[in-house]
Amino acid sequence: MDILIIGLSHKSADIGDREIVSKKLLTPELRQVFAKKLLNLKDEGNRPLINELVILTTCNRSEFIMDLPQWAVGGNAHFIKDYISGYFFDKKGSDNLFYMHLNFEAIKHLFSVASSLDSMVIGEPQILGQIKDAYNEACEFKMNGQVLNKLFHKAFYCAKRVRTETKIASSPVSISYAAVELSKKIFNSLSEKTILLLGTGEMGKLTAKHFIKCGVHNIYIANRTKEKAHHFVEESFGANEKNYVDVIDFSEYYKLLPHTDIVLCSTGSQDYVLRYDDIVSVIKLRKQRPLFLIDVSVPRNIDPEINKISNVYLYDIDDIGKMIEDNLDIRKKEAETASELVEINVKEFMEWRNSLNVVPVIVSLRNKVKDILEIELSKYISEKKEKDLIINSLTNKILHEPITLIKKAAVDSNETNMLETLKTLFNLDLGKEIKNDNTINKELEKGFDNKNNSSRIKLIK
Amino acid sequence: MTLGELYLIPFFIYIFSYLFLLSKEKKFYQAFIFLIYAGFIIQSLILVIWFNLHGFKDLISVDWIVFFNAWLTMMVVILFNLFYKAKYILIYVTPLALINLLIGFFAPHNYLTMKPFFSSLDQATLITHIILILIGDSLFALAFIISLIYIFQERRIKLKKNLKLFDKKNHPFDEVFYRGKGYNLELLDSMNYFCLKIGFPLITVGIAMGIYLSSSLFKSFMIIKPIEIMSLITWLIYAVLLHERVAKGLRGKKAAVFSIAGFLLILSSLTFSFYLFPEFHGFK
Repeated sequence: MDILIIGLSHKSADIGDREIVSKKLLTPELRQVFAKKLLNLKDEGNRPLINELVILTTCNRSEFIMDLPQWAVGGNAHFIKDYISGYFFDKKGSDNLFYMHLNFEAIKHLFSVASSLDSMVIGEPQILGQIKDAYNEACEFKMNGQVLNKLFHKAFYCAKRVRTETKIASSPVSISYAAVELSKKIFNSLSEKTILLLGTGEMGKLTAKHFIKCGVHNIYIANRTKEKAHHFVEESFGANEKNYVDVIDFSEYYKLLPHTDIVLCSTGSQDYVLRYDDIVSVIKLRKQRPLFLIDVSVPRNIDPEINKISNVYLYDIDDIGKMIEDNLDIRKKEAETASELVEINVKEFMEWRNSLNVVPVIVSLRNKVKDILEIELSKYISEKKEKDLIINSLTNKILHEPITLIKKAAVDSNETNMLETLKTLFNLDLGKEIKNDNTINKELEKGFDNKNNSSRIKLIK
Repeated sequence: MTLGELYLIPFFIYIFSYLFLLSKEKKFYQAFIFLIYAGFIIQSLILVIWFNLHGFKDLISVDWIVFFNAWLTMMVVILFNLFYKAKYILIYVTPLALINLLIGFFAPHNYLTMKPFFSSLDQATLITHIILILIGDSLFALAFIISLIYIFQERRIKLKKNLKLFDKKNHPFDEVFYRGKGYNLELLDSMNYFCLKIGFPLITVGIAMGIYLSSSLFKSFMIIKPIEIMSLITWLIYAVLLHERVAKGLRGKKAAVFSIAGFLLILSSLTFSFYLFPEFHGFK
């Protein structure tokens, strides 16, 4: 019942390495293939190593959030990490690119990620949506279960609290904001500029919206599937914003480049969409007017060599991230408060998770007492209904205090011996006792969702 | 008080104004701008007093020309500041005026007598020649500073290093001098182009007048002297730059490099002209 997170992010790996991982997890199909491989990992006793799995892939991170069965031990976690590392990289030492968090640290990490405390831009809102997408995908692939259901719902709750109870998102610092600020360093007035948005990615959408706020009135959107672009415009932009947005055919975007001042690339392509030679000719046609290219896609869709061309300025997501690192003081201060909130939520989750361990003990103890009472009372009371009522009442009264203490002991990690003592004292054989008892399911279901996939949540965009 | 000592008044006002930049308060930054304007007004007053005392007849004096150049530089900068609302250029260009004022203080105050065979037309042409060349040079000096800022800023954007993205958004310095926007390459390039568009015709006419004076004085269209060769090379550089800008859309870093090279040549020719080899210009 250990929670394990293995992953790599902008903090552990550079964009090149992240690209390699992200390319192999680019589509849901690719992710499903890899998820199946992970879920099929077995230990020496041919028992599965992973119970539940969620794969999270964003521009800046790829993470595997897992719930391990009771028999999986520390060594297995390293085995899983090596397997993941070997799947993506051939080079030696690539496992150093991955971090690994277990239990408390893992939960804290996930909650911090969901609350955008671990993001390149602290407090950016996209990450929560991305985690919800990842969770929904796990539901679709039937890879989730009780523990991860509870974990993710708690993560969403934690993120919401952080967002509402701190000022982490109040100061305008995000990739999209940074992109606009960078444009202002190159161009004098944005209102006369033309922007071309390639692709319909989330980051591209936010940046385009921010440009409109800053007075840009000409935005062209090109996507390989034109219908998707139309749908994107319908969904993403308000009535007023739509006046400034036009969808063009993807084959026509090159013709538009000489008249474009800012290109925003946010496609899911695996190859470069804009190459060095394309831009060399474009800049001549532009009579050397500056061209600002922003590549927010991972893998990168604009050839980095383009930045060497005179009067062309190319920024990828890492470049922008580095720019804003120094400008996050306010959010960093708020992040300290947010971390406290995260800690509280992690503790709450840990309490719930630890309480799972005592449920079989409680159920077993109740059954034991009930059995004794049943045998003894049967001698004096023949009517079943009346007898059951008395048994239940007496069981509750006798065990009220001990159960309260057991639950308390479960939360307090120092009291683990108490459970062992209880088992020994009452000679509790957990496996045997609880086999046919529905009470355990009731206890397990208390406070969290069903295992079935109907628990898929509606996304709060 | 001698004329040279008078030059020190605006000089010290400008120096004093820079002390206000050390502060971190908005009112001190505004005081800096106020003092720069005050320095310019005092420079203008000195100029008016000088004209009242001497008129145009004693115009040819090295210290006066340098002082006049400092005044023109400040006038161009202040006009630019009003037109483009880029107060930061005051910080960077005022030192040029400071250098001029200091040179004016140390330069010889004796007047160079005009050749007796200069006709009144020649004298008017000479004065116009000097004024046009000086205004043009001031504009090119401004273009030089703007180009340096451009290259510095372009390099930061290109290399993505040391680029303060938000320019301390709430810092009063940024608010006063950059209007919260910082430098932007397009504005710098546009100011650079404006300097060229205005400065080049003035320089062209100024050089043409110089050639006319040369032919009038030496009865020859042109005498091969370093100052003339350098002036023509400078003119050629700016001509090529203007042509490239108009015809081929040259802009950005290359245009800035051209402006810097052009102004360095101007500086060399002025140094040749006034300090090292005054005889080459035909003053002696």
